Amino acid sequence: MRMKKPAVVLATAALMTLAACGGGSGNSGPTASKTLAAGGGAGSFKNKDAKAPLAMPSDASKGGTLTVLTNQVPAYLDPTQAYFTDSTAILSDLVTRSLTQYAYNEKTNDMQLIPDMATDLGRPSSDNKSWTFTLRPGLKFEDGTPVKAEDVAYAVKRSFAIAELPEGPTYNTTFFLDGDKYKGPFKDKGAYNGVVVKGNDITIKMRRPFTDMDYYASFPSFTAIPQAKDNPQTYGNHPIATGPYKFVNYKAGSELTLTKNTNWDPSTDPGRIQAVDGWDFKFGQDTAKLENVIINDNGTAKTTLTYDDVSASSYRQIAQDKARLVTGTSPCTFMWYLDMTKIKDVNVRRAVGYAYPYKAAWKAGGEIIGVTRVPGTSILPPGTAGRVEYDALGNKGSETDPAKAKQLLAKAGFKPGQFEIKFLFASDDDLSVAAKNEIVKGLQAGGFKATPIASTSETIRTDRTDPKSPINVRSSGWCSDWPTGGSWFPAQWAGSLVGLDGMPNLANFKQKDMDDQQDHILDTMTPQQAAPAWGQFDKSMETKYYPAVVTGYDGTAMMHGSKVGGMENDNVRGMPTFARMYITK
Amino acid sequence: MGIQPTELSENDVQADDAIPVTSAVAGRSPTQIALSRLRADKIALVCFAIVVIFVLIAVFAPLLTKMFGVELHAGNPVTDLDEFNYPAFGPPDHGFTWKAPLGIAPNTANDLTAEWLYGARTSLFVATVATLVSTVIGVVVGLLAGFSTGWLDRALNFVIDVFLSLPFILVALAVAPIIVSRFNQQPDKLVFWQFVALLAVLSFLTWMTLARLVRGEVLSLREREFVQAARVIGVPTRRILFKELLPNLVAPIIVSISLGLPAFVTAEAGLAYLGIGVVGAPSWGQTINKAVTFFNTYPLYLYAPIVGVTMLVMALNLLGDAVRDAFDPKTRR
Repeated sequence: MRMKKPAVVLATAALMTLAACGGGSGNSGPTASKTLAAGGGAGSFKNKDAKAPLAMPSDASKGGTLTVLTNQVPAYLDPTQAYFTDSTAILSDLVTRSLTQYAYNEKTNDMQLIPDMATDLGRPSSDNKSWTFTLRPGLKFEDGTPVKAEDVAYAVKRSFAIAELPEGPTYNTTFFLDGDKYKGPFKDKGAYNGVVVKGNDITIKMRRPFTDMDYYASFPSFTAIPQAKDNPQTYGNHPIATGPYKFVNYKAGSELTLTKNTNWDPSTDPGRIQAVDGWDFKFGQDTAKLENVIINDNGTAKTTLTYDDVSASSYRQIAQDKARLVTGTSPCTFMWYLDMTKIKDVNVRRAVGYAYPYKAAWKAGGEIIGVTRVPGTSILPPGTAGRVEYDALGNKGSETDPAKAKQLLAKAGFKPGQFEIKFLFASDDDLSVAAKNEIVKGLQAGGFKATPIASTSETIRTDRTDPKSPINVRSSGWCSDWPTGGSWFPAQWAGSLVGLDGMPNLANFKQKDMDDQQDHILDTMTPQQAAPAWGQFDKSMETKYYPAVVTGYDGTAMMHGSKVGGMENDNVRGMPTFARMYITK
Repeated sequence: MGIQPTELSENDVQADDAIPVTSAVAGRSPTQIALSRLRADKIALVCFAIVVIFVLIAVFAPLLTKMFGVELHAGNPVTDLDEFNYPAFGPPDHGFTWKAPLGIAPNTANDLTAEWLYGARTSLFVATVATLVSTVIGVVVGLLAGFSTGWLDRALNFVIDVFLSLPFILVALAVAPIIVSRFNQQPDKLVFWQFVALLAVLSFLTWMTLARLVRGEVLSLREREFVQAARVIGVPTRRILFKELLPNLVAPIIVSISLGLPAFVTAEAGLAYLGIGVVGAPSWGQTINKAVTFFNTYPLYLYAPIVGVTMLVMALNLLGDAVRDAFDPKTRR
């Protein structure tokens, strides 16, 4: 999934503008964050028996308005196009229900996949080539008309209309029947054979086995959309609500107001409550200002929250009031993708891993180690089903060893200062420049020649994926779409992606043995077998080829006012758990 | 040719024994008069001293950093910062230390004393060069436009109008990414050309007011008798411009320089704050930009460069005012 800060995260990764948060001042270190401990997962557990309605918490008062201030601006609020963490969380948790959903589990401090509009998590056929979901009775749109299976089928068809509705998730084109041919209901007036409706049953047919359909069905694109009211250009300004809140006022780029949807019935929903009267989102706010408002906690600020990570400068003040800081992980891994076509010797690639100044670059880039950036060595982030913990270099993902780097370079036949590493940085971003300075120091100490290539925050994304860019390392990252390896390796590490527009395979990684392993997992394994197989794939790829330096996992640290209740970290998205939030008595 | 006060021989005056009170009527050039006025102005003297101190700091920045035992960009974030990315020694938590008299920066651990000293250097260098270049361009264009009649005057006036219509900040914003994309593969050249681009933007977009001022003065001067006399006896135009007209323009030019310097110091800091100024070198504006968010927890980070900019700009401005008063014969005190 794409992160809420696309330009920065996907662009600069190790050079992110995230910042501080965590423990108390001095005594308890910031590493004491609870979800970072072992077992903290990213929704890798499912509970198909979750019961509706969700009980109202005992300290919840009825009514009031929660205000959300953020520096971010959500890209699209059309359910079909929602693929960033912020738009997905706002739509799924509050407005548009999908076939399945994630819900916070207090016991494990983790997100669980539970049914939503469907009665269960879907029933796959034995070969995983068709999935059937059954709609609950009693579902209604915000205008009171009942939700029919046809409305969900229409939403599924709509997600193929990439020309009219770009930027949404596109697993449907890869896995669904005729996904490569069908162009959506706007262009293609004919029938689509991939979705079959029978009474309350919706059956989705695949062209290749798809084991993760239950996770994929939690995306807002699997909501219900009444075809009669759809206009792809304007639907995102007011998506018809099926969840507990509906749009009242949406000004793209500045604000969104939600109010109670009286046609939402709690007895049909195992994951959401409707405690407050409304929500007030204000986008594109000044970071320093919004942090001051929440820290000072006066008046309406008591019912105000943000989903931005707290900045290094404000962290100290909020650290004294730890109850108002929510920390955890988002399932994202930052990497330095080493271009396999330009850095051909595996010893040189490993040397980069030893020379990279992990801690210095993180700190200079404004990251708090252990809180907003968690050291790690596996590509799959903590909490992914079947994840294998390994250490390809034996450096814990955070220790720099210049001597070892020089030694490996000598083994590969390069004198110190001979092999050149070229990487991008944003010259108009202070933190990016500071991190670049540290990376240059580190690489030089490790025997490389370091050439930072200047770009700007505006252009760094396109520069990075431009095949003509004179760089041999790409700093970026990836976030889970769902917590199994299936949303990681086929999306970034398949040989077939080399040379495509937008450069999805950032390391230009194309090895026949690895591609064969991926096909084997995708085409022959059950979900239970596939999860550990992806973990092993992760380990063998990094150990054998070392195509990427893992530069840590993404941590989350969000502040809220003293009367905001039920706010936890949704570790599938790195967002607040909007669905269960309320104002305390 | 009209006789300039500057061209009066002082010997002639002193030799005139017919007047008993020799010293009281000693001829003095306008510059001498202005300087003596300045010397009597205490505020001007104090400001001048402050400016001199800043100039010395700028010139000797490398020596001073050595004297303090600090170094530019030498901080190690891993060892010098605590787990919250705040300094592990020095302010704001650990009191004063000679290891880092002005503290070190959070996140990067760069020494702020060194940043401050080199920041003074950047500020003054940028301000001086930009002032010189814009003054030279302004004076030359103003002289030519004022003295020439016909098409050259019209053409130069048009150029002045064109440059006046260019919005300063927008041009600076537009130039920055062009420089980045042109030199993105040569880090050293990039820093150099970013610096040059900043100087160019500051110089080439600020000379117009002076040019207009000079042109106006020249328009009135060129019809005076001494200029006409020079023309009649065949003095070359170049000589008329630089020997006859320019000395009469010294006062407005000096005033423009003295008011231009502080404006450029502010402009440099302002552009750096917007992230489009000096990027490779330390600068007060950049430090202010980074320090703003730390204002609540680490005020010294912000205060040091602000005090630097404020003191320098105030001293230069007051000095400029004093210079203007001193050179203006109409000033009465």
